[in-house]
Parts: sequence; structure tokens; C-alpha cells
Amino acid sequence: MSGSTTDSAPENEHDGSSETAEPSAQGAEEKVTAVRRVSEAGRRWRAAQLAGCAALLAVALTGGSIAIGALRDGGTATVASSSSSAVSPGLMASGDLDAGIRALQAHLRGQPKDFGSWATLGLAYVEQARTKGDPSRYPQAQQALKKSLELKADNEQGLAGLAALAAARHDFKDALAYADRVLKQNPYSERALSSRIDALVELGRYDEASKAADLADERRPGIPVFTRYAYVHELRGDVRTARTVLEQALSTATTPGDIAYVATALGQLAWNQGDYDTALTDYARALAADDAYLPALEGRARAQAANGDRAAAIKGMEAVVARYPLPGPLVGLGELYEDRGADGDEAKAKDQYALVDAWTALARANGVNADLDTALAAADHGDKASALRAARAEWARRHTVHTADALAWALHVNGRDKEALPYARQATATGYRNASFLYHRGIIELAAGDRKEGRSHLGSALKLNPGFSPLGAREARKALKEASK
Amino acid sequence: MTPISRNGSGRSSLATLICGALAATGLAAAGVATLEPGAASASSHREAPLISGDPQHDNTDLYAFVSPDKPDSTTIVANWIPFEEPGGGPNFYQFAEDAQYDLHIDNNGDGQGDLLYRFTFKTHVKNKKSFLYNTGAVESLDDPDLNVTQTYDIELFQLKNQKVKYKTKLADDIPVAPSNVGKASMPNYEKLRDQAVYKLPNDSTSFAGQADDPFFADLRVFDLLYGGNLTEVGNDTLKGYNVNSIALQVPTDMITESSHQPVVGIWSTTQRRNAQGYYSQVSRLGNPLVNEVVNPLKDKDKFNASAPWDDAQFLKNVTNPELPKLIEAIYKIPAPKEPRNDLVDVFLKGVKGLNQPPYVRPAEELRLNTSIKPTDSPKRLGVLDGDNAGFPNGRRLTDDVIDASLQVVEGELVGSKNDLGDAVDKNDKDFEKSFPYVALPTEGSRGPLAKGTSSGNDVRNQLGDALSPAGASGSGDNMSLIAGSAGAGAAGIVLIGAALMWWRRMRRRAY
Repeated sequence: MSGSTTDSAPENEHDGSSETAEPSAQGAEEKVTAVRRVSEAGRRWRAAQLAGCAALLAVALTGGSIAIGALRDGGTATVASSSSSAVSPGLMASGDLDAGIRALQAHLRGQPKDFGSWATLGLAYVEQARTKGDPSRYPQAQQALKKSLELKADNEQGLAGLAALAAARHDFKDALAYADRVLKQNPYSERALSSRIDALVELGRYDEASKAADLADERRPGIPVFTRYAYVHELRGDVRTARTVLEQALSTATTPGDIAYVATALGQLAWNQGDYDTALTDYARALAADDAYLPALEGRARAQAANGDRAAAIKGMEAVVARYPLPGPLVGLGELYEDRGADGDEAKAKDQYALVDAWTALARANGVNADLDTALAAADHGDKASALRAARAEWARRHTVHTADALAWALHVNGRDKEALPYARQATATGYRNASFLYHRGIIELAAGDRKEGRSHLGSALKLNPGFSPLGAREARKALKEASK
Repeated sequence: MTPISRNGSGRSSLATLICGALAATGLAAAGVATLEPGAASASSHREAPLISGDPQHDNTDLYAFVSPDKPDSTTIVANWIPFEEPGGGPNFYQFAEDAQYDLHIDNNGDGQGDLLYRFTFKTHVKNKKSFLYNTGAVESLDDPDLNVTQTYDIELFQLKNQKVKYKTKLADDIPVAPSNVGKASMPNYEKLRDQAVYKLPNDSTSFAGQADDPFFADLRVFDLLYGGNLTEVGNDTLKGYNVNSIALQVPTDMITESSHQPVVGIWSTTQRRNAQGYYSQVSRLGNPLVNEVVNPLKDKDKFNASAPWDDAQFLKNVTNPELPKLIEAIYKIPAPKEPRNDLVDVFLKGVKGLNQPPYVRPAEELRLNTSIKPTDSPKRLGVLDGDNAGFPNGRRLTDDVIDASLQVVEGELVGSKNDLGDAVDKNDKDFEKSFPYVALPTEGSRGPLAKGTSSGNDVRNQLGDALSPAGASGSGDNMSLIAGSAGAGAAGIVLIGAALMWWRRMRRRAY
């Protein structure tokens, strides 16, 4: 259980996990047989079965922790000595989120009517989910926020927390509505101003997002707003402004969480422009602040891969996937294996892709909407039809450059290039410098018969970020060569 | 954890792989437990931090008093960066380079600034490859072993109707006193601090650097009483924490309107450079506790962004304050009758005949009548205790503004006599007798103070004394203060704690 994401969680949760870990290990053996049996029955069935395995496992693993609920996971023994610490004011911002959460839990045991602290706790859970890739915190966050709003209806902190939670769950319409409710009460709320930008960006309402970012910047300049401001500019292709603002943010970042986040954003920006050395420096800065920060570990692996250091990249990505098997890193790792092509690598790669399938199935089986990454992963390495379904569903919800790109690519892999073309164009229309989008567009244009445009966009993709994906870049080069014949 | 079995077939390892990976992450928990769309979040959108610290741009306290050892001068002390842990390396505590730290003076009572002292800081790193704050024992401010240093400039603006009429640079590149890293690194910190006291050309003096947080209050009392166990003592107070301080001593006649109108209104702000390159005001502080206790939550951010001449918008918060009603609801201490014009005087206009300027426009400023001579024996409750040289006539470092403000809010000035307080009556460290008056910062080598078990002047001992249940041997003064409040003492402590927690939390915006 070395990869447990609840490393800071108090004893009873640990106990719960280790108790349930054993049966699941036994279960794993049975599942091996199950998988063998099922493997003959075709891909779809296999995925379903795997999902079943995963779901069973999940129940076994987490029944305890869910039942324990929001407060209990603070444990009781751990806090006795540390006083009923009234949410030591610096704690939450000081970077030690786990300690902050424990202090809040302890405080709320004695002060269950403190609606502000309930809201803080809810928000802290959302933050923990974000930094640790542990979405099991979301229901706990919801409980805490609900409690806060029960104690005091419409309180600003509670509503702002709900906005953040909705955004984290990709329910951006709700996030926007909550943010607007907060801003009506308090037009200067940093959190609501930030949530509003996020929601507008994710809904693809870029002009409004840009205005919201300017307004937020005028009212509450600071790291939360700067990072959003930079992203809004990056999405429009204004890399320079994005970099300047992120550097400004980094220069005033004081907590490890802030430093890791901002430095990682700088790394991602540099990587997107093909500047791998800068990206590696930025990621090193992030990891110096927080050596377990997953987005930085993932970004570093990608930059190492792009820079030709495949061994380090694989090692790094394996570590990420071991802790956070989301579609993005899984596909990244699978492609790295495929690219290496050593003995057994193909099987290993397939394992990763199958894991994406399992993850998708697991998510679906539980009513979770498959995410964009899932659609992209499935388009390249999974069930093409389901990729298209997912992409369409996401497009129906929101029209962003990301959903346009995913839909275009899903249409393409299903052989519907003419339909794909307008979406591919839409994905690149804002000027966002993303090599993968350009690559998708180029391939689709070639397939639709527009050789000139296709060549041009493939060329742009490779020029911008030649290591954007080990396999994608190889494909892009091949297609470009053929199209130039 | 690399769950790939070497000898198994790709497929046989798959189940192990999946189960292993899911087990390792708790991701499964999300899927199964929540049954809600989107709960299993992926990385397709940026998820920025929800909890960001911004202490560098956070005004914590403002003090203004007639200099006790130099009565023809006025001293202003403004603090930033609350809760500095001594030994908070590796970078320690610096003023922000993207900020303008401003002290405003209104000398005619119209709510607009007439003078503005602006402090801006630059950071210098001698060895850019080193993350170390110092690379050896630091003997002086220009010691090459002090790797990270800061300097500051001071500008003075004269304003009319909020427009700059005249602007002068008072000083360039003055050294800042460093964070007190500890005895090994800074064997004689006092010497470093003395070197950072800087004479300005016009008989003014300035200082910027780390200091002991002069604010004193007990945050722990809050919990303890709620917990109902007075013998259990906490260990988390402001004691032992440092702040970054700017102190300015100026000849009084430079800041007053005339000798006939000696009342000045003072407030401090922080402006931060935004992404578009402009400066936005992100923090504001005049009187202690106003934004924290008087303004309701929804107005706190607006207050921080606003200026005194617009304070009419907050008038209702003062005339009909939330806090006494809250206290009444919870602790049955009757709230004084509204509208609270007594609070308008204290917080917005100054007390008539004491520190209220003629033709005053209600505005939240720390108002100081500079013609009142400093006293040799200051009383901690200031004006409430007949000592007109203290709060709310300006604010001295020793003034117990928590007790005084609470008593005023609970109606001390309108017939509701009370002795509410927090049982912490003075700072743990003595203040200096001369400029910059603030106490030396607690040094890093003292160890982790928040844990509170250091030897010597232990937090625990002091608190234990203050909080011993009746009958136990405790500090007589504190006990009588609590007991003397007509049964409301305990409640007073609780609510003060609550207000303070609220205050400090808002200040830090730590939620």
C-alpha cells in the first residue's frame, strides 16, 4: 500500500485500508482466472468484467472509508495532544494541508456549529483531491459544505466552496452559478472570481473568461487569479503574457503548494512550446517545493521523453501511474512502452490501455461521465465507437477547444473525416498553441483530401513541439513525408 | 510499485495490474462511492490551488503614537506578514517586490489622504545558485555571508483631492533588517537591527525589518472554554511569532495641518501589481479590529479594496454592528441600544474633544491627537482608563486594544460597564525604549515555538496561570479581571477568542 493517497490520514482509515487490502489481494488471484476466461470472449466483455473486478475491489477497499465519513477520518487519538486547535489561522495557507484538515476536524468536533470552518474543511478536501488525485474526498467535501450551508444559509464561504467543488467535478454550469451567487454578495471574493474564470473557460466562453480574468485581476491580484489569467492568455496563443504572469506569480509564491503549482504551470507552458530544457527546470523547481506533486512528476516524465531520455521518462511515468492511474498518464506510459519496443513492451503498453478501458468502464458503471481524456485515449487505443459517444456527450455539454479536438479526433478514427474537419478547425481557432491539436487537424485534413492544409498543420505541430507524443509525433512525421511525395 | 509480473503473460498480469493500481490510489473509491458525474476527475482542465497564501500583502496591525522619548515627533508602525515562524527558512520572510506598502495621513479630517509615505522593496541575492539565506555567521548588514538581502526606497507624496501635487524621494536603497535566523547565524542580532535604523534627511528616521509581533492576545482561550476544561492549556498564541515591520518617525509638524489642528488620521494599505501592470489595493488597515469585528464577512474584501473617504458605505456596520447581537444571542449579554453613535465616534470620527478633528468626515482612520503629551506610565486600556495618550487616541504598542475594543463594542461608553477581556494584558516581550520601539524578533534557534514546550518563558506556564480555575493559585490580576465581569467574564473571553479567530483568519484569508 505504499502508494496510498491517504498517507496523512489518521490511524483508523489506515487500519481500514489494510484490513481490506488482504481480501482484495486474494481476490486478485481469482480475478486473474476471471480475466483469462473472459479474454476469449471479446474486448467489450473483457472490459466489463474488468470493471466488475475493479468495482468489487473498490467496494472492499473503500466501504470503510466512506462509512467513516467526513469527520471521523481525522481520528481521535491523533488530536488529543495537539489541542482542540482552533484552526490555527496560518495552517491552511501554510502548505501543510493534511495538518490543516486534521486541525479543522478536531476543531469541528468541539465546535460543530462553526459554519466557516465547515466550509473551510470542505474546501480543503477539494484541494486535497486536487493535489493528491484522490476524488474520494469529493463526497466528504460535499458533506462538509452542505453542513456549512445548513448552519448558515447562503454563506459566502460555503457557496464559494460549492463552486470549487462543482468545478473539480467538471460541472461547470453549476460552478458558474455558485460563483455568481457569491459575487453578488461579495464582488471581491477571490475564490469566486477565480471559479468564475475557470467555469467560463471550461464552458468555452473565452471572451467572457477573458473579461472575467481582467476584472478579477483588477480586484484581487494574486496567485489564484494570476494562474487563471495566464491560462486564458495561453488559450488565445499569447504565450508571452502567460509566461510573464506566471513568473510574476512564482516570484510571490510562498507556500510549497503554490510554488509547485505555479512552477508546474510554467513547465507545461514551456513544454507546449517545445522548450524542454526550460520545462525541466520549471518542474525541478516544482518538485523542490513538493517532491510528490503529481502534475510535476507527470510533466517531467513527458519533458524527459520529449528530450530523448526515455528511460527516465518511463520510470517517472510508472511512478505517476502507480499512484494516479488516470487516462492521460496511462496513455502516456503505454505510448512510451510502445515507442521503446523492447521485449514485452507491447504487452505492457496494452496493459496500460486496458487499464484505461477498465477505468472508463468503472467510471461509467458508477454513473461518472467519461472525461475528455477518456475519449481521446479510447480513440487512439480503445473502443472507437465509445470514444465517439463520449466525445459527442462532452461536446453537447460544452464547446471548448478541448471538446472540439476530442470530437474531431473521435470522428476521424471512426472514418468520418468530412464531419471532423470543422471541429478540428474550431479546436485551433483561438490560436492556442497545442501540437496535439495541430497534429489532429493535419491528419484529418489529409484524410479529407486537403493536402496543403494538412501538410502545413502537421509541419506546425512538429515545429512547435516535436515531442508532443512519442507515437503521435512519429505518425505526424510519417504522414507528412507521405503527403509530401 | 511496478505491478508488472515478469514471467506472467501480458494478460495474467493485467488483473493484478488493475487491482494493484486502483487499490493503490483510492480512485476506485471515487467511482463506487460517489455515484456522481464527473467525480473521477481527470487532467483535462487546470485545477488551480484553492488555498493560496498571501501574507506578504497582508496588513496585520497599525500603531501611531507620540514618540515617548521624542515628544515633538510622531511614530507610525505598520506590520505585515502575520504568524512568521522563527526559523521559517529556507527563504525566510521578505517584503514583496511587487507591492507598494503605503502609510496615509489625513491631516484635515476630510477622509482623504494629504500625505502618503510609500515604501517599495528590492531583493538582492548574492549567490544566485544558493538557496541559503546566509552562508555563514552574519556580523553586519553588508556581510557577504548574508546571501539574501532587501533594500527599500521611500517616497513622499503630497496630495490634494486624491491627486498627487508633489512627490519627493526621501531615500534610496536603505537596508532591511533580516529575519532572525538564529544564534549561530546571527550571533548579535541587535547589532544588525541597529544598523537598519536609518536617519532620513529631514530629521525623520525609518526602519524596516523583522520584529516580534507586538500584538498580544490569547487565541487558545477560545477553545479551552468551549471545551470546558480550564486546566487544559493550549500552546498556540501569537507569542513567539514575528512580523515584518515598517516604522517611521517624523517631526510632528511635518504631518499635522497646523499647530491649531493637531489631529491626524492614519491608515495603511498594500497595493499589489496585477497581471495587467497596474496596482490594486488588496489590504487596508486603520483601527484595530474594525474590518474584523465590525464589518460583516461579506464586506471584508470590499473594505480592503476601498478608501476611507468612501466609508459611508460601511456606516451601517458601525451603527448596527453584528457582533454585540451575536454575543447577546449566544451569551445573553444584552446588546447596547442602536444606533451606536458611540461606535461611530470611536471608529469613524474620533472622540469629541480628544481626537476628533473639526469638520470631520466619518472615515475609518486611526486618529491621533499629536498635542497630547506621552505619559511615563501608560495604561493598557488607554482612554477607557483615563489615559488619553493611548488607544483610541492613536495606538501605542502596549495598548490592550482587544480588551478596550471589546468593552467599547459592548457598550462601555454608553453605560454598559464591563470588564470583558482576554486575560492577556501585555506582550510577552518588552518593547524598546527608543525607535523603532518594537521588540527584537524571536530567533530561529529557539526551536519550534508553535509546539509550545520551550523552556524559560513558556507559553504554557503563562496561560496556565491565567486560566487556572477559581481557587487555584493564579495570577491575581487576570483572575480578578475575569471574575469581575459579572458572570460574563468567561463568555467575554470566549467571544473575544471567537472574534479574534475570525479576525486573524480573515486577515490571512486562510480558508
